[in-house]
Amino acid sequence: MAWIVENRREQSARTSDTPYLTDELKNHLREKYFPRYPTKRAVLMPALHLVQHTYGWIPMQAIEELAEFLEIAPAEALDTATFYEEYWLKPKGKYLIGVCRSLACEICRGQELTDHLRRKLGVEPGETTPDGRFTLIEMECLGSCGTAPVALVNEVLHEELTPEKLDRIIASLPEDPHDYKDPSVTWETEKAGH
Amino acid sequence: MTPEELQKVAIIEQESQEQYDHRIHVCMAAGCLSNRADLVKQQLEKQIAANGLERRCTVKGVGCMGLCAAGPLVSIQPKGIMYQEVKPTDAPDIIQTLDKAPIERLRCDTAMPFFKEQKKVVLENCGLIDPERVEEYIAVGGYQGLLKALTEMQPAEVIEEVTRSGLRGRGGAGFPTGLKWSTVAKAQHPDGRKFVICNADEGDPGAFMDRSVLESDPHRILEGMAIAAYAVGATQGYLYVRAEYPLAVKRLKQAIRQAERLALLGNNIFGTPFSFNVDIRLGAGAFVCGEETALIASIEGKRGQPRPRPPFPAESGLWGCPTLINNVETFANIPPILRNGGEWFAQIGTEKSKGTKVFALAGRVKNTGLIEVPMGIPLRRIIFDIGGGIPDGRKFKAVQTGGPSGGCLPERFLDMPVDYESLMQAGSIMGSGGMIVMDDTSCMVDVARYFMEFCMSESCGKCVPCRVGTAQMHDLLVKIIEKRATDSDVRLLNELCDMVQSTSLCGLGQTAPNPVLSTLRYFPEEYEALVQAGREREAAGSNGSAMHVAPQLKPNSTQPQAHVDSEVTP
Repeated sequence: MAWIVENRREQSARTSDTPYLTDELKNHLREKYFPRYPTKRAVLMPALHLVQHTYGWIPMQAIEELAEFLEIAPAEALDTATFYEEYWLKPKGKYLIGVCRSLACEICRGQELTDHLRRKLGVEPGETTPDGRFTLIEMECLGSCGTAPVALVNEVLHEELTPEKLDRIIASLPEDPHDYKDPSVTWETEKAGH
Repeated sequence: MTPEELQKVAIIEQESQEQYDHRIHVCMAAGCLSNRADLVKQQLEKQIAANGLERRCTVKGVGCMGLCAAGPLVSIQPKGIMYQEVKPTDAPDIIQTLDKAPIERLRCDTAMPFFKEQKKVVLENCGLIDPERVEEYIAVGGYQGLLKALTEMQPAEVIEEVTRSGLRGRGGAGFPTGLKWSTVAKAQHPDGRKFVICNADEGDPGAFMDRSVLESDPHRILEGMAIAAYAVGATQGYLYVRAEYPLAVKRLKQAIRQAERLALLGNNIFGTPFSFNVDIRLGAGAFVCGEETALIASIEGKRGQPRPRPPFPAESGLWGCPTLINNVETFANIPPILRNGGEWFAQIGTEKSKGTKVFALAGRVKNTGLIEVPMGIPLRRIIFDIGGGIPDGRKFKAVQTGGPSGGCLPERFLDMPVDYESLMQAGSIMGSGGMIVMDDTSCMVDVARYFMEFCMSESCGKCVPCRVGTAQMHDLLVKIIEKRATDSDVRLLNELCDMVQSTSLCGLGQTAPNPVLSTLRYFPEEYEALVQAGREREAAGSNGSAMHVAPQLKPNSTQPQAHVDSEVTP
């Protein structure tokens, strides 16, 4: 429900003395994105993705810095950032496990996966484990209904899942999430953001 | 790249493939991959090396072969043998028998209706080419449609060809594509800018055809977009993809890089004055961005909220410029229409719905996966012949088409031809092509509640009927399922359906009541049984006796729940 607003009056946007939007990130945006769009505001969404990719989430301070950089009001940047569910405005775990909660998965016992993870990780959907390793969420249709039930672990889709299969996947995750790659992508060209 | 160079790439690639006696294709689409198709491929490669067959055999990963339920799938070309449920340990046998008779225990019957009833246009390359190599796309005729358009046709002739084909938008509404293109072509903007947008924000629960096409044949979409850009006079394209499809995004990024390297995108394509660039835009988890005006707002960097139409994007879209927005599958149909002509395409399908349609079969059906059939094929043939019917000896109850904008059709519609008009008349819609089959264990009221919950949580909140109406309808459905509802609640639900349908701003709200309306129409007895149970409970409650209370349904309304006690299903 993108229209539900949170009271942020008590929140301070400033949390760090060093800027989140580093010169390196600014240069990346200037070179890769500014030439492609007629307005700076159009760069806001890719920029939010870039910040999230870099830090794992989007701090309020980064939204303020982005607004200044893109020459829009902080409120405008916040307005966009809060509308989209996939922007994390609070820290999330190293691994984001998104279980599909769509009808096709539901028919194929997808709920068991969430229940299993609830018990195993000791968190409710939307919460992060105390060690900061896992965040559990339920997601809308992941577009793989033919092989339901499915879940997305960071950027890798896992299908025809069972609680046991999930256990094996979780046990095999590398310490550093950057080492976790999709086995079907045979090339290595991913750079930060784009 | 010149036309001659394109030909040369195609010939070199064809020759390099033909030098092998056996080309082994391993399906590396998400479905097979989750059953470790990558290990199967690895073992096959090892076996070839161990037997010194590198010069006679090659192994490659290909996109989705369709029969996801029987993965991992392996096919051996040019013999056309197909193996199913292959394990890494089967690799030695497969390699040993290459020159002999195929292995019967692994054999997948390619004469079964799943393969024979299908007609592939959009999916023609899926499962045949390696989506990560542009050369393979070129070798099977890729970019020939663009070449023909740029070098032999005027933009108006391209639009004529598309109009002649009778192609209608595959995103769900079925608007004639040729008409949309000509509107954008005619529209003018003071600074002359126009845009082409590919809507790949596939979000309907149960639909996954766009993801599969993007992952299995990404160049096809780029070619379709380039042809459209030439026809309407645009030079910049945006591909708006869901962030939930990381593999599709990676494949598209790579395809764009390859096309730019070969100058199939960029300036002066094929030495003509035509220039075209494509950029990827990542969504961020908002279903409503599939609505065209919301998608445009999102590209502009704003909240993804729709605005009233007119003006339509064709006249005033992205940054106020004329903008062409088509769905992935619509663009995927364009290259073959240009290659084979509009008349060829118009021969497939029915009078008003031309061509083929890709459907995503899911739910309680034996062969789940992607299928492509000519328009007009009866539902029964899709579900029972191609889909193989209902598993575990259960009985067919309903098929849900069109996701949250569609409806549930009961058994008596099984012989209805599948086309835009027939589905609409029956109270559902074609939608993007999701088909969720349900057996007699599913509760239809709960299915309606599930979709209403989806619409409620995805409503952008801009207009009141959708924001408040979906929440109210959801509450009423929960009340009915929990057997607390009265007759007046059902009446109110009907009224709300009518109000939300006729007063919402965009398609999300206007079609949100469809799942409720269609289940009320075709499965009234299920609503009645629940309301009756409520009446009985109330009566029992007022006498202070709990004797006739029916067993409780799981009362937790926030959890989607399709398996419901059989006592509510007649």
